[in-house]
Amino acid sequence: MLAVGRLAVGRLGAGQLGLLFIALVTLLSFQGLIGFSANGNGGSGPDWSLLSDTYFRQVLWFSIQQAGLSALLSMILAWPVARAIYYLPELIGRQTFLSLCILCFVMPTLVLITGLVSLLGRSGILTPWLGESWNLYGLNGILLAHIYLNMPFAVRVLVQQMNTIPDSSWKLATQLKFTPWQRLKHIEWPSVKASYLMLFGFIFVLCFNSFAVVLALGGGPKATTLEVAIYQALKYDFNIPEALMLAWTQFLIAGSLFLALTLLGSISWLSADTATRHWVPTLSSTKKACYQTIYYLAWLVLLLPIVALFAGIDLQEISRFSWSSLLEPTAVSIALGLIAAVSATITAYLILQPIRNAYRQRQHRQRIALEWIATHTLVAPAMVLSVGLFIFLLPKIDLDDWGIVFVALLNMVVLVPFAFQQLKPRLFQFDQQYMQLSSSLKLQGFSLLRVEWPFIRPVFVASLALVLILAIGDVAIFSIFGSQDWTTLPWLIYSYAGTYRIAEASIASLLLLALCSLILWAFERFRSHVEH
Amino acid sequence: MLSIDKLKIRLDDWSSEYQLQVADAEILAIQGKSGVGKSTLLHAIAGFVSCQSGSIAWQGKSIENQPAEQRPVSLLFQDHNLFEHLSITQNLKLGFGKPPPWQKITAAAKQLEIEQLLDSKPGNCSGGQRQRVALIRTLLRPEPIVLLDEPFAELDPQTRGLATDWVRQTAKEGHKTLLLVTHQDEDVERVADRCLVLNQATDN
Repeated sequence: MLAVGRLAVGRLGAGQLGLLFIALVTLLSFQGLIGFSANGNGGSGPDWSLLSDTYFRQVLWFSIQQAGLSALLSMILAWPVARAIYYLPELIGRQTFLSLCILCFVMPTLVLITGLVSLLGRSGILTPWLGESWNLYGLNGILLAHIYLNMPFAVRVLVQQMNTIPDSSWKLATQLKFTPWQRLKHIEWPSVKASYLMLFGFIFVLCFNSFAVVLALGGGPKATTLEVAIYQALKYDFNIPEALMLAWTQFLIAGSLFLALTLLGSISWLSADTATRHWVPTLSSTKKACYQTIYYLAWLVLLLPIVALFAGIDLQEISRFSWSSLLEPTAVSIALGLIAAVSATITAYLILQPIRNAYRQRQHRQRIALEWIATHTLVAPAMVLSVGLFIFLLPKIDLDDWGIVFVALLNMVVLVPFAFQQLKPRLFQFDQQYMQLSSSLKLQGFSLLRVEWPFIRPVFVASLALVLILAIGDVAIFSIFGSQDWTTLPWLIYSYAGTYRIAEASIASLLLLALCSLILWAFERFRSHVEH
Repeated sequence: MLSIDKLKIRLDDWSSEYQLQVADAEILAIQGKSGVGKSTLLHAIAGFVSCQSGSIAWQGKSIENQPAEQRPVSLLFQDHNLFEHLSITQNLKLGFGKPPPWQKITAAAKQLEIEQLLDSKPGNCSGGQRQRVALIRTLLRPEPIVLLDEPFAELDPQTRGLATDWVRQTAKEGHKTLLLVTHQDEDVERVADRCLVLNQATDN
């Protein structure tokens, strides 16, 4: 049999174990809920009679509507911003803006919500100018928050895709005197087309599963998503059959969509190291001015909720504020985040080994199935994973003592898909570019890893930084497994906001934001150091 | 001896059959029109293209079922021969399976006028310089069969002369069996012992 390269058996085996572990956590979580409801706690499984219930239909429709609108608006708004950044490389603060885009995407939701409430809430800074009918709570606020979180992410992906257009294409287009429409049709659109569909689906799934934003800014059956309905069924009604039915519905819809995207999606290989872009067509002065305006408007929009956090702080409050109360939660957040992020990134790398192997051996179906297992926690309701595992473990382990371990472990499990999505293109690029060469040079095991590591290191560190920020911002998992002895910074913000201590919440939010910015800054510095 | 017997290769709607023998330490140039299957033949010998039927044997032992990593072959691809994120030195040390013959490598680098590039990354080298780096590694690796796919395509006439002479001399000293794909008759004259012209591939 021909082999285009083999991986060390150890890494392959570890990858298979990793996949098994991730699948096992989901299975045990569902088993926890199913087992609990079967033991005389309200039924023996999901309550499917709810399918004809108006409440269920309303929740389902709202989940789809808000996710669809959030994804569509994020994509529509991202494109002109991405074009401005691409066509005007001399824009002031361009690189900082791209860093801000990552920060917005990974910003802890509670920080954003505090900022949005200060800006557009009932007594918000901008509220007097928005008319009497303005209400942040409901679809308006949910869409705003989702767009704020996802539009910058779309900008980054689109810019990255457009950067893969080779100089030669632009030069040829210029030589052939292409009209702007022809340039869009023949050059720009083909470069972003594949990622547009993937991006839309990805943002849709993220918003469909959104929890904290809808919990804080939604409410009532008219503005509730499936994830929040699961939380309410579990927390307020303790109706496990209803929660299970909602969970299955969410899992099936988001899972099918994600599977369809995995099948449809293609990875662009155009971003080889040698394809550096040096040349872009010159724009007319009107177009230039137009793009500059769009760019600076985007700056303003992204900065406003952050700046608004300062408005929530009273100087007198600062002098009275006990800063030491922030120390321990900050340390706990960093430690938990580091454990979850490092283990999630390593696990993602390992579970990519059997997937790369399947890809190389052209086992298409096996690759799709393995990828789906690797990333399924992206679509599995986080609330179900947490509560199901909690119920499963409760009679077996003292969760007062061990709960914090499961905060780290579950965070790791739900973060694996994010690290996976970051690492996969780079590793596939390595295989595409170098696997034949590696095979020809008979590089295997450690010698192959020594060549592969410097190639993936920047992406590995970037992925680590991304999941570290996401882990530090966790609220959902901590709300189930956490305890007062191990309070994290986001949980502290939640506690302050819950008792209307907005000044304290703003201070803690700013600290959390500063922490995330610091990680991002360190990561950007590392990346630029590696790239130059 | 490298013996290729009734080797049939099929790629989508294209197929071709090969029959040839190359003696030990012989240098064979392969020519033919574009698309005739010259590179495909090299890739099949190296183990990157699977064959439908027929055999590839080295010293009487069949190798067509061996994975690429186990074949006694050193191949120079048309492009993508260097790891872009590693320095030229790091690239030159790969593929030896034991400590690389560094003295030979530096001597070759000096002879082919690339010794000043050893600390550079491939991205900072011209196409011709990259090709010479890849040539050095391919020829000096301890594999008995060397396959070169248009190795001099990006070289100027002067460097081409240097490189062709060095390839022939090194191949003969190292007792290598060398197959060289080229479009240039001049390369055939300067390097090869014999030339084989492939006929048109069969379209189905």
